[in-house]
Amino acid sequence: MTIGATAEPACGSEHCITCGDDGEPMTVIKVDRDRGLALCADDDGARATVETALVEPIEPGERLLVHAGTAIAHVYRAEDEVAG
Amino acid sequence: MKFVDEFRDAELGRAVAGEILSLVEPGRHYKLMEVCGGHTHSIYKYGIDDLLPANVELVHGPGCPVCVIPMGRVDDGIALAHQPGVIFTCFGDMMRIPGSDGSLLDAKAAGADIRMVYSPLDALRIAKQNPDREVVFFAIGFETTAPSTALTLKRARAEGVKNFSCMCSHVTIVPPLRALLESPDLRLDGFIGPGHVSTVVGARPFEFIPADYGKPVVIAGFEPLDILQAIEMILRQLKGGRCEVENQYKRVVPYAGNLRALEVLSEVFELRPHFEWRGLGFISHSGLKLSQAYADLDAELRFSVPGLRVADPKACQCGEVLKGVIKPWECKVFGTACTPERPIGTCMVSSEGACAAYYNFGRFAREREVV
Repeated sequence: MTIGATAEPACGSEHCITCGDDGEPMTVIKVDRDRGLALCADDDGARATVETALVEPIEPGERLLVHAGTAIAHVYRAEDEVAG
Repeated sequence: MKFVDEFRDAELGRAVAGEILSLVEPGRHYKLMEVCGGHTHSIYKYGIDDLLPANVELVHGPGCPVCVIPMGRVDDGIALAHQPGVIFTCFGDMMRIPGSDGSLLDAKAAGADIRMVYSPLDALRIAKQNPDREVVFFAIGFETTAPSTALTLKRARAEGVKNFSCMCSHVTIVPPLRALLESPDLRLDGFIGPGHVSTVVGARPFEFIPADYGKPVVIAGFEPLDILQAIEMILRQLKGGRCEVENQYKRVVPYAGNLRALEVLSEVFELRPHFEWRGLGFISHSGLKLSQAYADLDAELRFSVPGLRVADPKACQCGEVLKGVIKPWECKVFGTACTPERPIGTCMVSSEGACAAYYNFGRFAREREVV
């Protein structure tokens, strides 16, 4: 399975999530295990290819925190918070 | 929005604000620093400071990676972008940071091939699409962003992409915090810890703040209720005579961080002996460069760059703003000579910058009722 390239990048929002210490919660749509990538969608439905090496294994439907095209953490519901 | 709406509930926000009010001691002034530019942005976007008692002051920290890039690094980037055959790639906000003779955007207008990317992977894709050109990625950001650069460099190596290199200006968050805590002109009572840096490094690196300086730290998320709750947790520690690192953002941040990310970082990067921060000067072991194993992908070794130190403009008081010594609107050029459209200082460029956040959300000065 090959996941297509992302759309032309844009940075027009009021909040530059790439440059700041910010991350965007996204939902996994498709997983490309061979290439360590996943197609993810943000809450507005915009899709992007995301590097997943740091959070594998992942499954469609899971929520990830994505920063600069890389998933850096899982996002859990408040009631299922990570230990610690 | 999934897992988000519950953190923007106005009624809950007012309840937490009430808790905060009950925790403050009349007559005592509390100075809390939000380390991260993302928090600064959220605080002014949602008007969180308006919900706080007048004696709880939020001080904006150095956590905007764009704002701390010194002019000399911008000049180095521009020099690199002008080299024949180079496609220079960087994040959006970086393009507007003023160097000593214009910004990367000005250099683009003058003919340099400079392209904005949304992730390092986009830069690598440009390299694969242009095998006859040299593609340089200008990497900036804290530990949140550095893993993305590291993974891209590993991918470039694995895929045999030879025309890709990185000009690394990644920085680490702990050394500037230590420098701030050592600063004699700043008295702080506690820290709102950087949520997304902590997804990578965890909460442990901040333990020196309570241990060595006796100040509480609460790692916080970026929604309004996250920030309010973090403030409440800090005030509760202060009232109870405690100081420790607490994690308000447990739904995302494991206390130990992301071990896989830390492994990748230590493989691809090593600490520079010194790195210059805008307004803060040189701070030891605060910047990253590519490790020996990845030196062939280091743009500063592949190309010659001037590497000159350039002093900040005299009119600009970004240093004092970054250290929390003055509020953005107290700067002489705030909102007059320095605006988001024509920034003099870096804090006015990035939306995470304290000056831009103040300017964009119209919070120039305000009076609050004293408790």
